[in-house]
Amino acid sequence: MDDLATAPQGPTRRDVLKSVGAAFVLPFAISISPRSAEAAAPVQIGAFIRIDETNTVTLSIGSSEMGQGIMTGLAQLVAEQLQINWSQMRAEHAVGGAGAGNPYANPLFHAQITGGSTSMMGWYTPMRTAAATVRDMLIAGAARQTNTTGWRLGTAGTVTNGTLTLTFADVAATAASITGLPAPVLATTTKFVGQRMQRLDIPAKVNGSAIYGMDVQVPGMVFASVVHCPTLGGTVAATPAKPNRAGVLGVVNLDTAVAVIANNTWTAIKAARDLEGTITWLRPSDTTRMDSATLAATAQSLLTSDSATAFVAEAVGTPTMAGAVKTLDQTYRLPFLAHACMEVMNCTASVTADRCEIWAPTQGQEFIIPAAAAACGLTNDKVILHTTYLGGGFGRKIEVDYVVQAVRCSRQLGVPVKLIWSREQDFQNDKFRPSALIRVQAGLDASNNVTSVIYRNVSPSIKLQRGPSSVTNPEDTGAVAGAKGLPYSFTARRIEHVALPTDIPLGYWRSVGESYNTFAVESAMDELAKLANINPLTFRRDRLADPRAKAVLTAVETLSSWKNTPPTGYQRGVAFLKGFGSYIAMVAEVGKTTAGTIKVAKIYVAVDCGVVINPDQVEAQMQGGIAHGLAAAMWHQATFVAGVPQVRNFSNYPYLKLQSMPTVSIKLVASAAAPGGVGETSVPVVAPAVANAWAKLTNTRLRSLPFYPGTTMGGL
Amino acid sequence: MPTYTLNVNGVNRTVDVPDAGMPLLWVLRDFLGFTGAKYGCGIEVCGACTVIVDNQREHSCKVDVSSVVGKKIVTVEGLSGDVDGAKAQAAWIANQVPQCGFCQPGMLTATTAAMKAGHHGKEIAPEVKHICVCGTYPRINKAMTGL
Repeated sequence: MDDLATAPQGPTRRDVLKSVGAAFVLPFAISISPRSAEAAAPVQIGAFIRIDETNTVTLSIGSSEMGQGIMTGLAQLVAEQLQINWSQMRAEHAVGGAGAGNPYANPLFHAQITGGSTSMMGWYTPMRTAAATVRDMLIAGAARQTNTTGWRLGTAGTVTNGTLTLTFADVAATAASITGLPAPVLATTTKFVGQRMQRLDIPAKVNGSAIYGMDVQVPGMVFASVVHCPTLGGTVAATPAKPNRAGVLGVVNLDTAVAVIANNTWTAIKAARDLEGTITWLRPSDTTRMDSATLAATAQSLLTSDSATAFVAEAVGTPTMAGAVKTLDQTYRLPFLAHACMEVMNCTASVTADRCEIWAPTQGQEFIIPAAAAACGLTNDKVILHTTYLGGGFGRKIEVDYVVQAVRCSRQLGVPVKLIWSREQDFQNDKFRPSALIRVQAGLDASNNVTSVIYRNVSPSIKLQRGPSSVTNPEDTGAVAGAKGLPYSFTARRIEHVALPTDIPLGYWRSVGESYNTFAVESAMDELAKLANINPLTFRRDRLADPRAKAVLTAVETLSSWKNTPPTGYQRGVAFLKGFGSYIAMVAEVGKTTAGTIKVAKIYVAVDCGVVINPDQVEAQMQGGIAHGLAAAMWHQATFVAGVPQVRNFSNYPYLKLQSMPTVSIKLVASAAAPGGVGETSVPVVAPAVANAWAKLTNTRLRSLPFYPGTTMGGL
Repeated sequence: MPTYTLNVNGVNRTVDVPDAGMPLLWVLRDFLGFTGAKYGCGIEVCGACTVIVDNQREHSCKVDVSSVVGKKIVTVEGLSGDVDGAKAQAAWIANQVPQCGFCQPGMLTATTAAMKAGHHGKEIAPEVKHICVCGTYPRINKAMTGL
């Protein structure tokens, strides 16, 4: 999801690439907390670490905790450098920032966003460096405070000189003023790193005390819910009258929506629903670019058009099917998708003449702050952004739409406003994962080498839609992620993206480009293996040179007993991905239900994500990504009729249930490489692994997702 | 404005509610400050709003507040005071179940209600048809086997 960085005001992909490997400068405007005059006040040392009188160490993070466990992972890095006890460790979201000098910006992006499975990639070295610097400051602080020498780190949050031992809390205030230390030496012990540390956020998440955006309570706040035009892109023609319902306080015209203000959430949602059908909207005059059937026809014509303006993302040699011994020419089809975060879009804002305070479940602090400031006519520094826990993000909560709505309501009303979308509004006003229609042409020579690949992906471009648009440079690296730079030994290749013109609002969906390209690539690889009459796992491995890529295939071969005959009535399919800085190979073991539909019994996954910080959390992301990817593969599609989104609730966008979850077996392949991402890695390989198994089982090749479109929950 | 006395997590609480038809979910969240139960779908599909009423699981987004007067309401915030609820919470922690955690109050209350109905171990899962978009299902299934 590196393409995330092309969202408005974000750095470009090139900036991101430039920054990788750049020296990290510790953001040390040394600050002591305002209450430090009191003897027992917590002491802030640098931007990230605070030590209180009980010797608890609290880490402030810029990444958003949306379930991926980043709070815990980063805390493990800190605990390792400080050699404290895990019970002393806490973590929290830092107050958000934006622009230059924000210490909480992901060092990969120089922007405070959480996406692209990059949090651990970005912070692995900077966070350890920051913690080791604090460690050295604490040691130096002890020396200064006692006017003695020979201090070193002790255990359980202490420093010692052999005769005297002081707690971090004892020396924190002095330590915070230490400057001019040499670059720290990073501890390489593994007391925490690589261990199955319990997540810091789980106790609050099982006792109901965890605060999500929806749970924020601010004194004096009122409640709002919204109704958008049923046709995407419509605007309010005339502000409607306040609905006649007890508890309704007023309405706010938000241009693209009307907010109903009430003295509780339920009344706001009900009253917003009352307004549906009564508001006069200015609807877009032409909705053909927001109509599934029309878009499908346009995509089909662009798939084969010679005159289509294609972005050639990769060109190696001159691919041609002319001299091939065997050829493949198949088309793969993927739908638009919704995010369906369990927690609907919501935000609480309190705007006064000179200040805008926001509480939001957000992945996009970098974008929210300038957007909110602009909505209030304030400068960025007047926006105070509190990040809550996120009830799912998946890329949806990097957007600013719902935040700006809350800010505008509060500004207009002069009181704090908690704004919550109904589930129906959430589904209908998503930023949808682009559809994709992908043609793969490939040729094999007499030795079954893949000599030529011509790949054309026709899909709406997120980047073009949100600009800056440039027809002379229509590069959309996200649209070809998972197709460009494949590690397979294709002799000649041309990878093209043709932007499908659409006005459907587009967004980043967990695993972005890989979420569609990997289905085409890994389905096609299986079809080529069949043409070559070679075992599909071996076929892949023999066309990979990278030892890490080969190793995950070998690991999943062993884990899944690939070489052994599957149980009667079942077959296995494999898929592979190098992406998000990691390598993954997945095997699906698939049979039939009594109704004859797909039954996914077992999933085996081998992943090399570099240095593992917390094996339990890598496994959690594998499990979760499989559930997410499998539900999408089986059932999910967002369709549109003349600009009107057809999905309204979970009733026609089903998810797995406890009993339909396949058994998952995971092998973490040991690696000393720098950490890769795990939040998205497992999602893209699920659909092709299942389709490949199904093809083996039934001799029927499924090239279109979802496998069971519509409202029924076929299969599993 | 009707006034109701509700027994939530063992304590009687009197609340003025603007509408007798208001669902329990919003009374708990907006008027009593129990934000553990979540709004997820509003149509009894996702299960995030589940609470326990007289030992039965209920979708609080569809239960009128007026219908639960005099009944014992337990939310996720009250599970630690319940033998079965505390066991479920401990199993969730031992198995490191939650990711984003938003659906877990519903999962935990429904699990506790299933236990009270005499279901144990693998019998619990069929009773809990909730949605977890993060996909914590393998760990929930594992946590349930010990209950």
